[in-house]
Amino acid sequence: MAQYTQTLTLLKANLKRDWLKITIWLAALVGVFVAVAAKFEGIYGTSRQIAAIGSTLRSKAMVALIGSVPDGRLTTALIFASEMAVFWGLFIIIFNYSLAVSASRGQEESGLVEMVLGGHPVGRLAPLMAAALELLIANGLFALITGLGTMIANMPGSDTNGTWLSAVAIAAVGWAFGMIALIFSQLVADSHNVSMYNYAFLGIAYLIRMMADVSNPDYTWLSPLGWLEKTEIYTHNNWWPVVMLLVLGILAFLVAVVLNSNRDIDAGVIHVNPGSRKSNFLRGPATLLFWNQKVLTVFWIIGMAVLGASYGSVFDSISKIFNTSPTIQKVLGQSGVQHIEQTQVLSFVGLLGIIFSLLAVIAGVMIVNHLITEERHGYLQMVMTKPQSRSYLLTVYIVFGLILAAVLLLVALMSAMAVGNVVMTHPIAFKYFWRTFVANLPSIVLFMALMVGLVGLYPRLRTMVWAYLGVSFLITYFGSLMNLPKWALKISPFYWTKKVPVDAINTTPLMWMLVVAVILIVIGFVGYKNRDLEG
Amino acid sequence: MTDKMILDVSGLKKSFGKVEALKDVNLQLHGGEVLGFIGPNGAGKSTTIRVILGLIKESGGSATVFDEDAWKDSVKIHKDLAYVPGDVYLWPNLTGGQTIDMMLHMSGQKHTAKTDQLISEFKLDTSKKNRTYSKGNRQKVALIAAFSTDVDLYIFDEPTSGLDPLNELIFQQRVAELKAHGKSVLLSSHILSEVEKMCDTISIIREGKVIETGSLESMQHLTRNVVAITTASPMDGLDKAKGIHQLNFKNDQHTIAEFTVDSDEIGAVMDLLTQSTIVQLKTTPPTLEDLFLRYYHSDESQKVGE
Repeated sequence: MAQYTQTLTLLKANLKRDWLKITIWLAALVGVFVAVAAKFEGIYGTSRQIAAIGSTLRSKAMVALIGSVPDGRLTTALIFASEMAVFWGLFIIIFNYSLAVSASRGQEESGLVEMVLGGHPVGRLAPLMAAALELLIANGLFALITGLGTMIANMPGSDTNGTWLSAVAIAAVGWAFGMIALIFSQLVADSHNVSMYNYAFLGIAYLIRMMADVSNPDYTWLSPLGWLEKTEIYTHNNWWPVVMLLVLGILAFLVAVVLNSNRDIDAGVIHVNPGSRKSNFLRGPATLLFWNQKVLTVFWIIGMAVLGASYGSVFDSISKIFNTSPTIQKVLGQSGVQHIEQTQVLSFVGLLGIIFSLLAVIAGVMIVNHLITEERHGYLQMVMTKPQSRSYLLTVYIVFGLILAAVLLLVALMSAMAVGNVVMTHPIAFKYFWRTFVANLPSIVLFMALMVGLVGLYPRLRTMVWAYLGVSFLITYFGSLMNLPKWALKISPFYWTKKVPVDAINTTPLMWMLVVAVILIVIGFVGYKNRDLEG
Repeated sequence: MTDKMILDVSGLKKSFGKVEALKDVNLQLHGGEVLGFIGPNGAGKSTTIRVILGLIKESGGSATVFDEDAWKDSVKIHKDLAYVPGDVYLWPNLTGGQTIDMMLHMSGQKHTAKTDQLISEFKLDTSKKNRTYSKGNRQKVALIAAFSTDVDLYIFDEPTSGLDPLNELIFQQRVAELKAHGKSVLLSSHILSEVEKMCDTISIIREGKVIETGSLESMQHLTRNVVAITTASPMDGLDKAKGIHQLNFKNDQHTIAEFTVDSDEIGAVMDLLTQSTIVQLKTTPPTLEDLFLRYYHSDESQKVGE
């Protein structure tokens, strides 16, 4: 046990450092969850409302996105559980990733671990144990408050067992993924790469879950994320997946412990290979940015292609209308059925366009964000003291980010089209995908421009971009489900292109978006040229 | 040293919010001159350099390099300038070799035989990724790139803080070489012996103000030599002589003594001492340290030489 000496002291220090972060995350995660639960009866209280949303949720498209819905009679609580479980699982995993990386590799990077282990009577494994315990506390709090809150919301069809099961299961999936993040923290020597491994793992888990849910739900057991659905909240209330998640978390922690014991401080299990001594390629900010981003860019492109393909593979099931009774088919006629089928797929393509754009925006905005990270890390002082103007530097990052975002959106849509048209009897024309692509570009430019404006003026407020992006997505995604007023829906840039590609593009709002974007970019340039460099 | 003004900072002020980091900084660097810029940590050395480099904008006063405005014309200025920051941070995914080549390319320079020579002199393994380098090695990367860049002005901000004595020596030799080639160098440091060895002129900064500028010699008149002396006959009248301080006789015969003497009175004092027949004499010239410590410990009101 000497290896764990002073774990509690470290834990206290971690909590002292992270309490604000934990509080904000928990407030947001628990708050929205409970608020939705409380409001749910008003939205899906009547049997008619339930039936309507039920058929939407049972469509393959929605199953692919947020998981399966149990068969049989639906209640308000059941709809809530099916809608929220996987979704909230994703959010809490992101929260756990952020905590786990900063408590493990992040601390080591900053030299804190070396100081603590080298100069103080602290056990070798204490930092790791403290990280695991910190996550346990954060997730425990989530389960406790969420459980209590959802109890008070008291949705029709809910039961105490199921309510606590959903709260604990979501917390358990967060903790288990957090423990897996601790493994990746041992594998590679810098937190940036740890995060990349983490999100790649999460992406794979989500994709497996998605493909299994739409094809054969038995395979959903293959993904730990899918275990959330297997709890069958409010129907069978199965606690076994929770036990499995906890066992998975403990196993992952043990693997992390073994890996940690067998590596040196500040090193990763995977060693960094020496590289080339010379470079003719690196000539300035543009080539440097390309060089630094090349691996991540390739990951993004492959990831988006895979995501697009997996959505494309369910096009056929989406096109099938529910009541394909012979009578209806007779009434509509062959072409009528085909038309309705196509419209259904097209509105799904529209939804995909928004999801892909969201991811493309994340990738593009992250590139521009790098300009600030590099400034903060002090890398830029080496570039800015060379004959390179600030405008050129900013241009390089914006152009790279915009191109990356556009390419990602296009790749995902094209790959959805390619795979979708293989599985469907009546292929969808290219022009619809192109229309979706063009319609979403202004939104992407707008988010990027907001980032550029903040980079130039108030880099500290950069998180506003993520907040706006998150709010926009939630509004578009949940807005109609939550019966939000129309003006609130209009806050989201995605709102204006929601009907594309079923309808033609309405150019006026998109033009306005571009005008705002150009203004923001100009502000960004002026600000960036005239402000002090940090770091 | 030529009359050509390379760097001219006058009345420079810089505030960060309410904090006044620089109050009144005046620096002049001529062609072929090595200017030492010394002061305690937090005095404003790096802030001054960052203004000179156009990384931050002055709040008052002016900073010109090659007669161009440091803020507005930074791109033009940077074509003829090499800089090594005090804390070198490098992109973790590049190797040291790639970093050096890239920095050379960015300045419009090439990897030459001199670059290779510098790499072997500083004993840097350029195949390693920057993330694996220690502070000293990252500093070497920046130094190698700077020294193999052929420009007119070199700015080093506490360049040897992570280097071992051997590498420090290489650094000093390389600075001497730059000077021999007529290059101008601005060298900031809080290591006084370093500045003393290399610099023609010294500017001392304290709490955001340059309080003294001049050659080391010209500053020495403000300081006192430490003298340890043994004479054959008693040193009479020494305690009454002008310019003698901290006199301390080591024996009752008054033939062994230690004292400090004002540099400008040393001739008269020596005349007096020869009358007592000098047996052994040891004088220690004032180090920059002495000079510096007097500023450092003195109150605002106290002037040097008092």
